[in-house]
Amino acid sequence: MPHLRMTGRGLWITALIVPPLAFVAVFIVYPILSAFAYAFFDWQGLRRGEFVGFDNFFTVLFVEPYRSWTINAFSHNIMVFFALMVLQNGLGFILAYALWRELPGARFHRVAVFLPVVLSTIIVAYLFKLFLHPLFGVVNVSLKGIGLGWLAQPWLGQSDTALWSLIAAQSWHMVGFPTLVFLAGMQRIPGEILDAVRMETQSEWVKISRIVWPLVAPSATIVFTLLFVGAFNWFELPYIMAGLDGSPFGSTDVLGLYFYRTAFGNVSSGQQDFGLGSALAVLIFVFIALIAGIITVRLRAREIQL
Amino acid sequence: MAQLSLRGIKKRFRNTEVLHGIDLEIGDREFVVFVGPSGCGKSTLLRLIAGLDPMTDGEFLLNGRRMNEVPPSRRGIAMVFQSYALYPHMDVYENMAFGARLMGLDKAEVERRIAETTRMLRLEELLQRKPRELSGGQRQRVAIGRALVRKPEVFLLDEPLSNLDAALRSEVRLEIARLHHDIGGTMIYVTHDQVEAMTLADKIVVMNAGRIEQVGSPRELYETPANTFVATFIGSPRMTLLDVTRDGERLVMADGGSIAVGALPAGSAFRLGLRSDAVRLARGQGDGFAGQVVYTEYLGDNAYVYVRLADGTLLAARTAPNDSFAPDEPVTVRVDPGSVHFFSAEDGRRLTQQAAE
Repeated sequence: MPHLRMTGRGLWITALIVPPLAFVAVFIVYPILSAFAYAFFDWQGLRRGEFVGFDNFFTVLFVEPYRSWTINAFSHNIMVFFALMVLQNGLGFILAYALWRELPGARFHRVAVFLPVVLSTIIVAYLFKLFLHPLFGVVNVSLKGIGLGWLAQPWLGQSDTALWSLIAAQSWHMVGFPTLVFLAGMQRIPGEILDAVRMETQSEWVKISRIVWPLVAPSATIVFTLLFVGAFNWFELPYIMAGLDGSPFGSTDVLGLYFYRTAFGNVSSGQQDFGLGSALAVLIFVFIALIAGIITVRLRAREIQL
Repeated sequence: MAQLSLRGIKKRFRNTEVLHGIDLEIGDREFVVFVGPSGCGKSTLLRLIAGLDPMTDGEFLLNGRRMNEVPPSRRGIAMVFQSYALYPHMDVYENMAFGARLMGLDKAEVERRIAETTRMLRLEELLQRKPRELSGGQRQRVAIGRALVRKPEVFLLDEPLSNLDAALRSEVRLEIARLHHDIGGTMIYVTHDQVEAMTLADKIVVMNAGRIEQVGSPRELYETPANTFVATFIGSPRMTLLDVTRDGERLVMADGGSIAVGALPAGSAFRLGLRSDAVRLARGQGDGFAGQVVYTEYLGDNAYVYVRLADGTLLAARTAPNDSFAPDEPVTVRVDPGSVHFFSAEDGRRLTQQAAE
């Protein structure tokens, strides 16, 4: 009978692979699978009721008021995704290009741009909450100070500015990440290729659009995919700045908050429903996995080996 | 028409001056080679001509027009890079069309030029390929093609053969020579390889440590090198330099014998330059410089014998392939009086021979 003998190398590999695998299994795979299972049951508090098939999914998608809540939160996530695509990734690309071209002060700015990324979201969120305070926040005080007092707003307190304020805070916090990834991508472009373009055109726009942008495609794949996942999982910053209800009046509600509220309840309603919450979580998970998969495959196809 | 004038060009990187005032005239349709050891500033000078780096001081004129402030794309100059620098995301056709379109040429003209270039460089089969699907020699041809399509007045080539293997190198070298003959533009070619310089150039510019040592045709540089640097840089094996003193009509090497070479320059101490073909070896002791064989390089049609002279200098001598000299064998070195070079013992400048008094 053949038997497997443990070699020294095999032991090492086992010792290195088993702990992380166990971690992933217990804290990631198991919760996902159990959420899948929970979504098909009726729940009374923490007590599991009977099997209800796709009822929970049907409820969150098609039964009022859940239906409008889902649509409201989902549409906000889409807005956040596109806004961050422009503000965070777009600005990140421009910043990276400026840093790469070694404009004056590039060394200082390289650190300055990335510094906020290492700050905790809690700190950034509280900081921006203070900045945007309607009476003594630095934003309104500054506006009044330079004679633009008419622009001062209760930024977080009204529906049409609240979500944008959160997006602005998020962009400030994370813009350094795409910048860093794009910068790394640009630094991989051989200097002679750039020289070759300079021999053919002096237009920055042509250099960026025809040469630099196609050649940083691998960086774009990474930041696009991560931004997509991040935008639809967005939770901490809105939770701290706008609270679990996505105040005011649900104008900052996103899928993360909505799921949390539904599954675990909140201060204004003690009601918690694991079944509906799990159904939401499963839908979010499937949506993100599907679209992120498509994005990755599509973007990978246009990557070029340097 | 392309007439280039470089006037007093200096280049400083931070506090290091790498070009100390270059003056050079390059005529229309000339094939000029900048040659020198690495770090001599030849590539830097090429980049200044291209406009890729700004010059610290001096002036560059193209057909009498000052180019210092003109961006690289507007100079009418095309460059072939050492790494070829093809755009990796474009196929061969796009690589060539990109620059031509940016010049504002219409579609038909772009296509006509590409067709012409493709034919000349035998690229027809490769048009749809991406650079990574090409061999080194093919990439090289595409890089040249990309430059040709723009029909520039001046071509700059930065060590274009250094990434090719030896067999391909001489082939591409011939091709570049043929190309220059066919299109007749002005070409400036940078290399550290003196063989490339000798075989391609109408005019060689020998550079060393940020200065021009000598400008001339390959024959001029070989036959009348301006100083010991050029003398030893051009020609293979290297010219042997010997410190000798004058004793009447004879040249004496420190404790190693003497020779007579006829006319001598003025002065009493020189540096004597001997190419391998100016030297004859005789076995044993005799009238001439004494030395000892170190080793022999057999090359088929001839052989080079390296001899350690009495003062320690290593001398290369060309011999017939069947003259075999054993290591450590004592030999006498005699010199062909018509083909010796004299240089100043102080600064290495060439000295002219005068008729014997």
